[in-house]
Amino acid sequence: MIDLKFTKSHEWVKLDGEIVTIGITDYAQHQLGDVVFIELPEMGDKFDQGSQFGTIESTKAATELFIPLTGEVVEINSELSNNPQWVNENPLGKGWMIKIKVNILSEMGSLLDEGSYKKILEDEINK
Amino acid sequence: MFLKPMNLKKTPFFERHIENNGRMVDFSGWALPVEYKSLLQEAKAVRNSCGLFDASHMGEIIIKGQKAFDFVQRLTPNDIGLIDVFGMQYNVFLNPEGGIIDDLMVYRLEQDILCVVNASNKEKVLNWLNSQNEEDVEILDISDNIALISLQGPNSCEVSEKVFGKDISNLKYMHFLKKEFKDQEIIISRSGYTGEDGFEIYADWQKACCWWDCLVEEGREFGLTLCGLGSRDVLRIETGYSLYGHEIDDSTNPYEASLGWIVKMNKNFIAKENVLRFKKNILKRKKIGFIMKDRSFPRQGYKIYSDGREVGEVCSGAYSPNINKSIGMAYVRYDLAAIGTIIDVEIRNKFYKAEISELPFIKAKIKKQVSIDI
Repeated sequence: MIDLKFTKSHEWVKLDGEIVTIGITDYAQHQLGDVVFIELPEMGDKFDQGSQFGTIESTKAATELFIPLTGEVVEINSELSNNPQWVNENPLGKGWMIKIKVNILSEMGSLLDEGSYKKILEDEINK
Repeated sequence: MFLKPMNLKKTPFFERHIENNGRMVDFSGWALPVEYKSLLQEAKAVRNSCGLFDASHMGEIIIKGQKAFDFVQRLTPNDIGLIDVFGMQYNVFLNPEGGIIDDLMVYRLEQDILCVVNASNKEKVLNWLNSQNEEDVEILDISDNIALISLQGPNSCEVSEKVFGKDISNLKYMHFLKKEFKDQEIIISRSGYTGEDGFEIYADWQKACCWWDCLVEEGREFGLTLCGLGSRDVLRIETGYSLYGHEIDDSTNPYEASLGWIVKMNKNFIAKENVLRFKKNILKRKKIGFIMKDRSFPRQGYKIYSDGREVGEVCSGAYSPNINKSIGMAYVRYDLAAIGTIIDVEIRNKFYKAEISELPFIKAKIKKQVSIDI
């Protein structure tokens, strides 16, 4: 079964065994405005949890992307380079960014489930 | 993240922006929409059909008195004698050093002169005008009473005809009329900040919503789109227009900003000598347009390099949905400002290639029925 998790920095993570897919949430894309292009890492790049793996350039600003889990990039959504608007249109589907092979399974526990993430959004909106 | 515009000033159209899901931001103390749904779609709509902007934050200052003409003439380098009553002109206020205090539109009313200034500079301009008032004119800030709606795009004439009557199509570019409509006196000028045909409507703050609603209603069949500040910025960059705080400020002289065409030497004005000096001396830097060759997004403040040496700085940048490229304006060293020159823009410690290109990126399609003295 595929399990969807979130981070405080508005990335989502789809868990499928030790391969996880990463993107940004609908809330995040809405905040960014039109996505113009995305700088993604290369295949084989390794990242530690919480480090920057890319940048989104939107009409609003340049926004850093943080990797939710330690791992190695095994797939990149190369179609985003010609279709950056997919991140706005379908952030949890066609707008996915990278897949990584996770190294430290125990890090999964630091991710938020949907309920906790929604709570964070409410707090942010009411701030 | 979602702005709570509690301490911000609201224009008469605030409720309309909220109803239409405008993403509200703080713009010089005003709550205004940066976009509704998509800034890029809004910028395209203005080039292809038409868009409606709330520009009520702009400052309107009336200069009254017998010597109002002389007063404005002395404080600005452009010659307001070149415009007749019901004509308007782009101009700037200069400080004694020849730097730009603000850029403005001058409207010649029957008796008075209306100066439309940037919201962010209004207090500075008022202080300046009051300190220079040798002609003993009356300087009235009427901004709180005047709402400003800007209708821009190729279909704006048809929409205006529906709302204001057929005669409106006879209004010439950079001219205005002052007329009673529905028991209100309004000013409509054929002008704008997008390079497209367009109309700007100055109406009473309290009654302005009826014009907004009317334009929205009649504009529906002409593809009228509500537009925010974001698309306004993209459109003015595409057209090569300067924005105060970006291309021009207190330290910019008109020549380096490519505004030499508004400096008229056959008249006297504050800072004329200093401005002349700029004209005679070789300029150190020049405003240029550039197109990014690599995928990237230039933004204000990014440094520009040539052969590894810093030679300039980005003033404005945007992704243009109309030419599908990232574009910008910058100041670069004068000797490197030739069209076609390749420059490096530093973005997050990396160099991205850009080519200096002709301004404007998109030629203005305004109805130039009057000769413009460049």
